[in-house]
Amino acid sequence: MTSINYDELGFKCGIEIHQQLEGHKLFCHCPTEIRKGEPDFEVVRRLRASAGEEGRVDQAALHEQKKQKYFVYQGYNDITCDVELDEEPPHPINKEALAAALQVALMTNCQIVDELQVMRKTVIDGSNTSGFQRTMLIGINGFIEVDGRKISIDGVFLEEEACQIIERTKDYDVYNLSRMGIPLIEIATGPDITTPEEAKEVAAKIGMILRSTGACKRGIGTIRQDVNISIKGLNRVEIKGFQDYKKIPKALDIEIKRHLDIIKKGKKIEKEVRKLEPDFTTSFQRPMPGGHRMYPETDIPPIVPDMKDVKVVKTIEEKVDEIVTDFKLSKDLAVEIVKQDIDFLKIVRDLAKLQPKFIADIIINAPKEIKKRFKKDINVLEHLEVLEKANKNNIPTSAVFEILTEIAQGQKPDFNKYQGMSEAELEQEVIRVIQNNPDAPINALMGMLMAQHRGKIDGKKAMEFLELHKK
Amino acid sequence: MFKQGETIELKTNVQTFQGVFIKEEKDFVVLKLGNGYNIGVSKRTIKEQKSIAKPKPVKEEVKKEKQDKKLPSITILHTGGTIASKVDYSTGAVIAKFTESDILKLFPEIKELANIKSELVRNMQSEMMRFAHYNILAKAIKKEAEKGADGIIITHGTDTLHNTSAALSFAVENLGIPVMLVGSQRSSDRGSSDSAINLLAATQFIVNSDFAGVAICMHENPNDDTCLILPACKTRKMHTSRRDAFRPINALPIARVFVEKKKIDFISEHDKKDKKKKIELKLFNEKLKVGLVASHVQMFASELLAYKDFDGLVIELLGIGHMPTMKVDEFTAENDKILLAIQELAKKMPVVVAPLPIYGRVNMNVYTPGKQLIEAGVIGNYTDMTPETAFIKLAWLLSNYKDKKEIAELFEKNLHGEISDRSEKEFFLI
Repeated sequence: MTSINYDELGFKCGIEIHQQLEGHKLFCHCPTEIRKGEPDFEVVRRLRASAGEEGRVDQAALHEQKKQKYFVYQGYNDITCDVELDEEPPHPINKEALAAALQVALMTNCQIVDELQVMRKTVIDGSNTSGFQRTMLIGINGFIEVDGRKISIDGVFLEEEACQIIERTKDYDVYNLSRMGIPLIEIATGPDITTPEEAKEVAAKIGMILRSTGACKRGIGTIRQDVNISIKGLNRVEIKGFQDYKKIPKALDIEIKRHLDIIKKGKKIEKEVRKLEPDFTTSFQRPMPGGHRMYPETDIPPIVPDMKDVKVVKTIEEKVDEIVTDFKLSKDLAVEIVKQDIDFLKIVRDLAKLQPKFIADIIINAPKEIKKRFKKDINVLEHLEVLEKANKNNIPTSAVFEILTEIAQGQKPDFNKYQGMSEAELEQEVIRVIQNNPDAPINALMGMLMAQHRGKIDGKKAMEFLELHKK
Repeated sequence: MFKQGETIELKTNVQTFQGVFIKEEKDFVVLKLGNGYNIGVSKRTIKEQKSIAKPKPVKEEVKKEKQDKKLPSITILHTGGTIASKVDYSTGAVIAKFTESDILKLFPEIKELANIKSELVRNMQSEMMRFAHYNILAKAIKKEAEKGADGIIITHGTDTLHNTSAALSFAVENLGIPVMLVGSQRSSDRGSSDSAINLLAATQFIVNSDFAGVAICMHENPNDDTCLILPACKTRKMHTSRRDAFRPINALPIARVFVEKKKIDFISEHDKKDKKKKIELKLFNEKLKVGLVASHVQMFASELLAYKDFDGLVIELLGIGHMPTMKVDEFTAENDKILLAIQELAKKMPVVVAPLPIYGRVNMNVYTPGKQLIEAGVIGNYTDMTPETAFIKLAWLLSNYKDKKEIAELFEKNLHGEISDRSEKEFFLI
């Protein structure tokens, strides 16, 4: 799709991925629920750049202060507290979130920082009530492998999520407090990415590693990608606001074309932060923040990470490969099993007489089929007793789908109805059907048998008897 | 080892760090990496360390501010609880700022309101203060008032800010100008600090009102919008961390300052400015020993007798004015000893009382245990002072009056707004 030769341009790209975690907030006990709608209260605040902004001037901080806006924070009594309101110092760090960040650092082959120091990163656009974001460096000098290439990981960070913007006006901005303080893992790659397509692959891989921890929030907005790009010898531009990594290549193509246009006009590419627009173009957001706007969060003592309970878990990729190899399933089925976090090994072990392929098919595909045909939902994992009956040979496997359909439709299945015929009975029945239809071919006879006794007979056995008695 | 701000390199078996040396802890060397983050590197793992570059000296320009003769002059006396500070992002150090030029650079709005003189009296946490500091401040107020200041702002840590405001009310008599105590509940290094609004409100109040006397100026609520001007002797820090921690107790606020609208609404009566008034100082005896003890369950007489060598004692009473002073069954024999202890102490020194429920007035005539305390000789019936104000007042009386009877009389008499003669419905939970 692209006519740009990225190699020739000396294209350099690094990405930062921000992933929200489930549980409670990083520095207080509020839940990580993001709520919309009528707030219980509003608080009005003004932020000033502290004297720290003079001297070593921070461009981004000054840019915001020039606007002299005030901020309205909307909160909810049951899910936001004095910590988000900047009325109470932080509580001790959320240990589960820290463990997840350490896990991610290990899984991206980072060196874990010996003693973690929580920092205050100055942010005065109002998105943090305190005027700074709490953040800490967890791991450094890591790498991941993507299609055989090593991409360096500069850092894994654990930080607080910011408030969500509700409205921007000339005089003030309105923010929703409920998102603020949700634990956020940030992974920053080195500038090793050489094509937009590779940026996408790297983002996908990191997203997969994050999800493998089982600690992540799911859904739109819970993971965000920022992409830094530059053409050799020119200024770096950061694009913020990707919520879907699949959009990265197209947006980068368009952005680089913008750079090339600017160069053609003999102008300079500004070092700036740009926002991704829905049409894949970007727009100016603010100047690039300086690298020196951090100072220690003295309200939280340094943390020596306890690695005892931090384990490298299998990634989703590894789990899928394992299921495909061990159970000879299709990759699609294996992906679904992993995605739904199903303990497949245990189920297969419990249903030892059934084929893994059959079990996977019933768990993953039967609900889809029932949904399609009858518009009803069913979670097979809640009705494993049906599969257990098949496993014990109380019902034939061919009845399982039928029974699940009945359950989905709200009926109470009569298992006796499906009680299989004994082999002797089945043989008698086969002989009877052959005698009644002497001219019918074997497939037609099979059809008749199934039509009459669906769910009660084992098709494979029936065919064996048909072949035996139909001369 | 290294100097703060020095660029150093640390080598461990697996990696090399370069960054700015911040500090050395017991087991770690803390350095600031190029990306701005601080990390602690375990000393055990360090195989090699060296200095790469010396710290860069920080240049400070000092600009003399021009005075506008038409504007009133305000002196800021700093005692700590910094109103202004600067973050040095190269080391992460937060540096408190006190000069006129620093203050005006940070709060340029003040320039249009007043000429500012800034003086660092002390730089201390308010919980470290002693009576000596009240005397230093009282003398500084007198000096500045005599030099013609139109108002004084005292920046102060918040923990004992309401003690200092009460102390200055008593120690600085015949005060004809406003003296505003200002603190901040969020440190001034952060963008969200409440210090700017509190300082601006105090400045506006000094410049745009006719108030004279000592008062506190702090946030009214969590909004950066209005501040309350609070009575010096009837205010208390009622929250550990919120911006609006300071509440009037058994009183109404003096005024409300709408900082953005630059408007002042008076709520209570107040003394009027009179620059001709001559301040008289009645200072604290810095050697004085005054105790403050709370009544509680399972109390022992020995707790009270620990104060037998003190000059005075404040007892916070339960409810409307009680202590465990009666033996009522086989488990309460100690209570008789407590009553004896109070009788013994009250013979030696003024023993005064204040209500532990904070709100409301002491009335020891309602129940028998209260009557026992009156008979034992405690002072303070019918008063509604906070324990802190009662403490400061007793110390000040002991410092300036010798006669025990006179001290007792003055303690129960309103001198500077510390006792209200009426309990208004609106006084509770403001």
